[in-house]
Amino acid sequence: MHHANHHYGHSHILARYCGMPEPLHPPRIHGYLQHGWNIGDGLAPGTPYVPGARLLVWSGETRRRSWSQGRRNVAVVGAPFAYLVEMTPPSTEPGEGTIFYPFHGWEGQQVHGDHQRLIDEVQASETGPITACLYWNEYRMRPVRQLYQRAGFRVICHGYRGFWWRDHHRGFLDDQLTELRRHRRVVSNRLCSAIWYGLLAGREAAVYGDPMVLDNADMTFGGEPRLHRQWPELYGRETDFATCHRLARIQLGADELARPDELRKLLGWPKEGYV
Amino acid sequence: MPNRPDPAEAPTAAPLTNLTRSGGEMFAWSDRPGRDSPLLDHLIVELGGPGRSVLVAGPHPAGLVAALAAGGADVTWVLRSGTDAEAAARAHPTITVRSGTFGKIDLTSGYDLVVAVDGLQRLNSAEGDQLSADDLLRRLAGAVRPDGTLVLMHDNQLGAHHTVRLDPGARFRDDAAWSAATADPASRAQLTSRLAGFGLTTATTYAAFPEPSAPAVLIGGETLGDVASPLRPWLETVLAQAYTTAFRGRPVLADPRELVSRALRAGAEDTVAGGWLVIASTPGAAGLPPALPDVLAADVNGVYAVGADGPVTLSPAASSREVEGLRRVRVVRPVAGYRLEARLLELCAAADVRGLRQEITGYESWLGTGPISGPEALADLSDIAVTGDGPTVLSARWEPATALPAQIVLVRALWQFAVRLTTGGRPHPWPITASAADLAAILVGMAGRSLADEELRAAVDLQVTIDGAEFGLDRAGRQAHRLALRSVQPGSAPVDVAGYHQLAEALWRQRYQASHLLAMMEWTERIIQSRDAQLSRMDWELQLLRRGWGGRGLMLAKRAYKMVRK
Repeated sequence: MHHANHHYGHSHILARYCGMPEPLHPPRIHGYLQHGWNIGDGLAPGTPYVPGARLLVWSGETRRRSWSQGRRNVAVVGAPFAYLVEMTPPSTEPGEGTIFYPFHGWEGQQVHGDHQRLIDEVQASETGPITACLYWNEYRMRPVRQLYQRAGFRVICHGYRGFWWRDHHRGFLDDQLTELRRHRRVVSNRLCSAIWYGLLAGREAAVYGDPMVLDNADMTFGGEPRLHRQWPELYGRETDFATCHRLARIQLGADELARPDELRKLLGWPKEGYV
Repeated sequence: MPNRPDPAEAPTAAPLTNLTRSGGEMFAWSDRPGRDSPLLDHLIVELGGPGRSVLVAGPHPAGLVAALAAGGADVTWVLRSGTDAEAAARAHPTITVRSGTFGKIDLTSGYDLVVAVDGLQRLNSAEGDQLSADDLLRRLAGAVRPDGTLVLMHDNQLGAHHTVRLDPGARFRDDAAWSAATADPASRAQLTSRLAGFGLTTATTYAAFPEPSAPAVLIGGETLGDVASPLRPWLETVLAQAYTTAFRGRPVLADPRELVSRALRAGAEDTVAGGWLVIASTPGAAGLPPALPDVLAADVNGVYAVGADGPVTLSPAASSREVEGLRRVRVVRPVAGYRLEARLLELCAAADVRGLRQEITGYESWLGTGPISGPEALADLSDIAVTGDGPTVLSARWEPATALPAQIVLVRALWQFAVRLTTGGRPHPWPITASAADLAAILVGMAGRSLADEELRAAVDLQVTIDGAEFGLDRAGRQAHRLALRSVQPGSAPVDVAGYHQLAEALWRQRYQASHLLAMMEWTERIIQSRDAQLSRMDWELQLLRRGWGGRGLMLAKRAYKMVRK
């Protein structure tokens, strides 16, 4: 199993959904599960990929794009977060304030941009308490964390997504769903998974502010400018919830979720006595 | 291979009074008899009748000639092989047999009915002049008396049966190919206009499927080429069945069912038909045949006609009604709707998993949960149409003698569809390396159910029983079929009709799967190495920790705990 299948506790959520006996120790997924919202072929750029291995993507759109890039063994399963939402009882609370996700790279990339300008913009636009959710490596940078704390933000981190089968925070997405539901709005300076997650969790979403620059960003699939062009509905301080929610359902494959036995088969999870 | 008569027998044989040798008959030659066709037999015997003079031109099944004679007709049979003519004259003493080259046979007396459903190919003898297709047609037309009728089957050189031939040159190398057949007349319209030129008015024409020598479905009248006809979804099902029966186990260039189904959807079935059956009469003839139905078909149940009023059985089959727990039944329901299988194939090609889930769930709830009896228990998805009122069985030939569990019915139908997806090289939204069993499990999962191993085995066994009854398989044939069905992998060729196109697709998939397996193996090796190294590092860390005071204390405590538990 590719180690990225464990990121954010994805395989654990799917194991829970499929009713596997030990969801904390999910069996090997036969294939590569898309681990973040993606405007490419479903694989994170530079992922070591076994030719011909299954690629399990979140949405029909990603599948089509992937097919156009020469991938043939691609199947749509939907985002693990969508399964989590499906399994979690809906919240009745409308939530309060805003949760803000400053754009992040990953451990191998650094983001360049002015956090203070971003903080000012968010404070000027949002009403109510603001929570800043930092990526784990930024959370560990005291100066960045203090910048947000000094501005009066509540600063949180959903945890470490894990690397090479170690130190995963298995409840990463559970925590994220709880946090998203605590707030009324979710905001980011770049369109990313968290925005779609927020919308799926029934929260208003908006993308604005300095999108920041990523070290050696991969422009193969159009990068940041393409996001604006393709999903203009998400940009601006106020957005239309119904429109954006519909887009989120498409991007996360929320209407294409497999039933447990179907998913089990797609992931290659055997069950004794069953095909 | 020609049957040589035994010279020792010749002197003792009684002289044949009902045989005329007209000259030019072939020696040391025998034509294989025409194939039995209950459909043609029915039509022709109806047109015969007591006291009518009938000319049967060319080799035909002996059963047809005997049936005409038994019906009271005065039959004359023309054969080019001297040996065949002698055998025919001996076997049917009440009929007149004429042998020789077709041009020399005296047809001047004229006939009330001229039957040439073997076509024009086997009329010319190797001896003497070779008559062109036009000359042959002229002579046949000329043999029809005023008020008489000609029934002719003409091979379509553009027919699906020729197009999918794996070895197209074989028929030109055949012993009988001393003069290669031409494609003349090349269409139904050309054929009828040629006959009109020879003084015959065409009363009815049919496109015949799958092959002119043994048609199982005849389509004519306004139904031919009419894509808006309510019969169309049903016709697609019946034609697919007819081609399966005809081409089962025959290696072909490509699966003819694909070609015919595309033609049917385009209203172009006339172009790819195996041949055309023409019923023509002299102009103004009082004895024109009565109006015939648009569609005639034959299957294990016998011959039936389908018109605006629904199906009418014309002649039931004589074989036993029950075979190994299955009972013969005829369901012909040409209803307006879409075919479930066609819809699922479209959704698969469009990778619309949501749509697939809806259709499959709809089908599952239609089946229900209780035991299922009746034709729906054995209907393939290709036999089911979805109408405004829900699914309905379009066509069925079998039903179970005792009700079957709904789960087995569902699993068999979905698994059978999975086999079609896999072996037909059809696009679908799931991993290309999935086997038919994998796909079946996914499809069953879409209906919200699990698929147990023994359920799949029971479903495959049920399929073997159905195919065994339909195609008359013996025990060994059934076992071979069972093994082939159980092992349908992404690289498997079609289990019934092995088309070269489909084989090429199967090969591509096999290579894809093999390259995937090799790459996966290499990757697994690397990962195991990396995990071993990681384990070794962790082991080293553990040892280091155990060596410290804290570690030693922990180990002592663990040992003490174990001792206490003992």
